[in-house]
Amino acid sequence: MESKRPLSPHIQIYRWHISSLVSISHRITGIINIIAITFVCVWASWLVLGEPKYDLINLFLNSFLGKFVAIGLAWSFSFQILSEIRHLIMDMGHGYELKTTRITGLMVIFGSLILTILFYLIGKNFF
Amino acid sequence: MVQLNLPKNSEVKKGKYFKDKTGSKNLRKINVYRWDPSTEDNPRIDTYEVDMDNCPSKVLDILNKIKNEIDPTLAYRRSCAHGVCGSCAMNMGGKNGLACTTPHSEIDGDIDIYPLPHLKVKRDLIGDLDGLYKQYQSIEPWLKNNSKKETTEIYQSQEDRAKLDGAYECIMCACCSTSCPSYWWNGDKYLGPAVLLQAYRWIVDSRDEERKARLKKVADELKLYRCHTILNCTNACPKGLNPAKAIAEIKKMLATANV
Repeated sequence: MESKRPLSPHIQIYRWHISSLVSISHRITGIINIIAITFVCVWASWLVLGEPKYDLINLFLNSFLGKFVAIGLAWSFSFQILSEIRHLIMDMGHGYELKTTRITGLMVIFGSLILTILFYLIGKNFF
Repeated sequence: MVQLNLPKNSEVKKGKYFKDKTGSKNLRKINVYRWDPSTEDNPRIDTYEVDMDNCPSKVLDILNKIKNEIDPTLAYRRSCAHGVCGSCAMNMGGKNGLACTTPHSEIDGDIDIYPLPHLKVKRDLIGDLDGLYKQYQSIEPWLKNNSKKETTEIYQSQEDRAKLDGAYECIMCACCSTSCPSYWWNGDKYLGPAVLLQAYRWIVDSRDEERKARLKKVADELKLYRCHTILNCTNACPKGLNPAKAIAEIKKMLATANV
């Protein structure tokens, strides 16, 4: 009897809220960032190996894919930082009212996009 | 382990279509999850056309109408119809709530009705909540006070009583726990928002003398700290309570107190 019973649908049917979206994005960007930091370390240690390796990385970062990765990482780090600040405030017991969580969630989403643009402009020596 | 897909026997198939027989112009399509334990079939979605001109305002009214006028084989739990008993908790339009307090006008388009998520289905919209009740029992939700005789009154100041506001109102409908992805993936170990809110309710009760023991009991990587503040619980609660905040308060107590 027990094994015959089906499992009711869960993630397939549950509607997304801003808070759940920010939460899962926080996890995903966290994983991406760990991988990214590893690559940055490898990149930094390659500098010791001389100019050809440096040129190789330069070539990659100037390609379309390289630019996509760089801008993507600027976003994922921005998102992680803002979301982490939100989590720190929540860990202190603040901001659990539904309206507040929605507002702070939206602030994280739009703030991360704004930060990404800022990082891009700084990288372009815009200022 | 996180299992995103449903097991083979739980995949939902297309079911029967019940066409309207009243000739009403104001129809709404209601998609309802069905599963009959007497057959070997998979669950299915039956679609009912319901005459909304002669239907009161709540989702439970739609279900009653379907059961009374269209298909008497539909099974669901309901009792008080006033948001007090918590029997008719289900997933409507992708969100958990009580069918008796959820207006159907708040749901756009066709109305999808499922049982509470990630439960073993007993039949149609009835999920098996035994696991949750066992967890509720495990936090020993009763007053523990050994220093006072059973016949003496235990006084409580108004301030201490106020600490229970927002916790004692819980009707254990399980809307919150079954909305929580953490509870979906670790429901056997993680206590879930409903039970943790009740744990909190007894921890902060000034009349209770087992505060430390209670805190120690929930201070567990899996029992408590699987809460990642996804906040689906607070979004789902039909009584407007805030389990996420209660869990955060327990974490705070554990971080600051010597337990």
